Amino acid sequence: MRISDFIARTITQRRGFVWTGVGLLTGACLTVLITALRLDSEIFNVLPGRFSSVQGLKIYDREFEQTHELTFALLCEPQDVDKLEDFATVFAEKLRKQPWCTRVLAGSPMATPDGIRDLQSIAVPLLLNLEPSVFDETISILQPRKIQDRLHRLRQQIEAGSPRPEFELSFDPLGLIAPALKPFAENTATEQEQPLTSPDGTMRVFLAVTNQPSVSAFECQRLMRRVNEFRTTAGAGWAGGRLQVLVTGRAAFVSEISLSMRYDIVATLLGSVLLVGSIFFVGFRRWLPLLGMAFCLLLSCLVALVLGQLLFGRLSMISVAFCAILVGLGVDFAILTIGRYHQARADGEPHQQAIATSVAKLGRAIFFGALTTAVGFLALVLSGAMSFSQLGVLIAIGIFVAGLFMCSILFLFIRERQKPVRHDWLFDLVKKYVRWTVRRPATILISSSAVLLLLTGIGFSPIPPLRFEASTRSLQPKNIRANQALEKIMHTMPVRWEPVLAIVHATNSQELHDAWQKLAAHWRDLQTVGKIKSFFTPAALCPSPIWMQRNREELSAINFQAARETLVQTLNAEGFNPDAFTPAFALLDDLQHLALPGVPLPNWRPQLPKSSSWWFLVDRYFARDPLLTTGFVTTNQPVATHAQSEYLKYNLPVRGVPVILSGWTYVLADLLPWSHRQLLIISALMAIFDVSLLAILYRDLRLWLIQVVTLAFGIGAMIASMKLLHINLNLLNVLSFRLVLAIGVDYGIYTVLVWQKTRDVEHDVAGVVKPVLLAGLTAVSGFASLALARNPSLTGLGVACALGIFWSLVATIFFTLPAMAAAEPKSWHENRIASR
Amino acid sequence: MRKILLIVSGLICLTSFARAAQLTDSEVKNLLARIRENRITQADFREERVIRLMEKPVVSSGKVWFQPPNKFRREVKGSSPSLTVSDGRQLWIYYPNFKLAERYSLGKRSPLDSTVAAINSALNLENIESTFQITAAKIDSSYELTLIPRTVSMKRVFQKLDLRINENLQAARTDMLLPNGDRIVTSYSNQTSASVPPSTFEFTPPPDTEITTPLGQ
Repeated sequence: MRISDFIARTITQRRGFVWTGVGLLTGACLTVLITALRLDSEIFNVLPGRFSSVQGLKIYDREFEQTHELTFALLCEPQDVDKLEDFATVFAEKLRKQPWCTRVLAGSPMATPDGIRDLQSIAVPLLLNLEPSVFDETISILQPRKIQDRLHRLRQQIEAGSPRPEFELSFDPLGLIAPALKPFAENTATEQEQPLTSPDGTMRVFLAVTNQPSVSAFECQRLMRRVNEFRTTAGAGWAGGRLQVLVTGRAAFVSEISLSMRYDIVATLLGSVLLVGSIFFVGFRRWLPLLGMAFCLLLSCLVALVLGQLLFGRLSMISVAFCAILVGLGVDFAILTIGRYHQARADGEPHQQAIATSVAKLGRAIFFGALTTAVGFLALVLSGAMSFSQLGVLIAIGIFVAGLFMCSILFLFIRERQKPVRHDWLFDLVKKYVRWTVRRPATILISSSAVLLLLTGIGFSPIPPLRFEASTRSLQPKNIRANQALEKIMHTMPVRWEPVLAIVHATNSQELHDAWQKLAAHWRDLQTVGKIKSFFTPAALCPSPIWMQRNREELSAINFQAARETLVQTLNAEGFNPDAFTPAFALLDDLQHLALPGVPLPNWRPQLPKSSSWWFLVDRYFARDPLLTTGFVTTNQPVATHAQSEYLKYNLPVRGVPVILSGWTYVLADLLPWSHRQLLIISALMAIFDVSLLAILYRDLRLWLIQVVTLAFGIGAMIASMKLLHINLNLLNVLSFRLVLAIGVDYGIYTVLVWQKTRDVEHDVAGVVKPVLLAGLTAVSGFASLALARNPSLTGLGVACALGIFWSLVATIFFTLPAMAAAEPKSWHENRIASR
Repeated sequence: MRKILLIVSGLICLTSFARAAQLTDSEVKNLLARIRENRITQADFREERVIRLMEKPVVSSGKVWFQPPNKFRREVKGSSPSLTVSDGRQLWIYYPNFKLAERYSLGKRSPLDSTVAAINSALNLENIESTFQITAAKIDSSYELTLIPRTVSMKRVFQKLDLRINENLQAARTDMLLPNGDRIVTSYSNQTSASVPPSTFEFTPPPDTEITTPLGQ
């Protein structure tokens, strides 16, 4: 018994058995999904994981505190600048009181008494951590002569009216704190490079660390609900004109994007169902098969999701977009099989026989169509990006399952008693076109070739260029508030570019310290010769147990009693108020205590208060694991080319210090060759596979050439349309080429295979061209409905696919068919008579 | 006893005659306008700084020159001389004894902007209506103005400024109370309104001077 007969008999005679199987399969899939589905919202998974720069970005995003940071900005009218200055304090205080807020940075910590006090509290550990020669020089200030000279000089400067000695003595009465903090202070220059007030004073920026337990979509939504409540009341007490309270940050983005995805799913699904349903009904004038098609597609998605989940353990949110692509591809199979079934019914075949005919005639074409598509998308595994690999595998699984379902359980939704449609205007129209094309192929062939050739010429010519937006910003929804706030802040605050991150992960404190000392020294040299603009490292905050122990031993040689007595005498002699120098005496006591053997070495971490604003600076450098750190290198120009990233890769590291270079702009520059290879080589591999498969399948050079030219026309016209409509490529819609290639090949296979075997052009060719036309139109409308999405990545993917499929359809109907008729002429009447 | 009571009554009467008369807002406005018409451009000064770091007040004296809206020069004489010059864009403080000069950039939201604004406000009375809450009183033929900063940035510079205007409507004395409790009292004398050459507000450090920028570039 043939497989087609077996399927037809099972579907018609053992319906209950098949329904039970479908029910069990559905139940099993749902159970697995509900209990085990784990979605990964990691945006970096769209990038290839084998690049160390991408790994670095993931580490920075996952391990460092900045993922819990929200940026608030107050934007006022120019005439209210003074009011904003006052209101900023009120706003910062309100922000601090929010239960979801852990810390707030409202200005330079050095500008507040608390900030200065916090800095003084970590001076002793940092003093001990100074390089031995610097420590020796610094501690020599405790020599009696030097104490006298310093205080005498400062007294004279006070009399001369300088504000500096007053600040110096208040902050550092003994002269030890400033040198101890000098290495650390060099890094606070970042604050000067990134001020929290705009040059015109109309914007004030506040950084807030939140206490959200995770950065999952639901947690972000929960947090942002509370943040937005705060935002509505945060302007209370403002007496000026319009005041905008802006919020941005990872949580704001994740929250809004996840919410917009809900809208996108509903809008695109409804749009797609409406458009596809309308076209389907126009073509077949039946609803039940449409329901069956939707059920089969849904079940295919479920099976693919479950298998993908079991295979990968965790599925990327982006790879879930496969559903849209799968629906676009699977619809074709359904329309073809249903179309062929109805044709068989119209020919007078009974229900079971019509099913068998449909499966027998189109099963092979659907199998090869599914194979080319699956292999095409499996090529994404070569991209090295986890999201794209998963996407490829899910589509490959889904498309095979969809092909299987469309040739089997879809027929459960076709009623045996239903009579065939007597007058099918669409079929008549297609039949007339096929007849005309077969009789006079030259006319239509010349016209279509001219148009498609022109578009292909435009498509593959370098002018106008097709722009490729490698930045992941191109995937970011542009109309969400978090993005608008970010744009406004970037526009108002001084222009700066993102530094390159240098991530160092050590196994112990000494190793970390040594690594940063070497890197800092090397980068200083690079800065001196102008190879980099500036750099900031956590070197000052990385304790060296060896240095600290050595410096502590030096402390034991200091005569603290003499230093104390000299200080008292000099204060009296110079007319200073001893009460104002109490911290100096306390510092002497601390140092004397530390000099005692057995006293543990001090650590700055527990001494810096948890609420201190300095943590904002510390958290820039240190991950939750204190041995995982990052430094920042600002380049002379923004990193935009691969050559720049290579230059940095060559120059920044130091031999023997494992360092990962990363950062958004650096990663994108680093990945440029990958992006291009991704587009060109993998697509080319897929094309080679497709044309090889077609050669084996057709075993006819002329038909094979026609099919290859059709594919080139389809892709060429698609690129031309994108150029003329100013649609840029991005990391997601670049996938559309594979999809269009896969669908274009499918249309060709359906048509050419029928053409090769037909002995009745009216019956067979017109019978397949109508479903191909309907399949094409439903796919175009299905993908075009993605244009309703708010997410530009989905919109871009939908529009690009819709354009590509449209041109593939046009090329198949108006080029492939007349070209075949011209190359291998078939007589309309003779064939018809012979077949009867 | 009767004699003592008479003396006390007499003193009370005298005090009531000399008692300050509060000025209304419009009177304050008129007063400020009249002062600005008769702006002084140079004066001698004597300054007494009571700072918590020192046991005794630090006293200095010298000469100051002003040019509205924001130029000034201040020369401190004595054993610890200094020269402070501001052309509105940058501020120099030069210490001849140490051959040391400090340079501070103004504008661009420098922390020193408020300090300079405070000095200019006190001496030139520029824009003080918008920056300060002003109360004024007439005492005999002179005026006592109390300026309390409105903005946070100005409050960081001083808490309160008492300004005495003499009968010629010239600044005679300022008393500035700083946020940390320090106090600076400056008395002015020999005030004139003669024009001042622009070069007065320019400064070029002498050779061999060490130049520092305590607040960066």
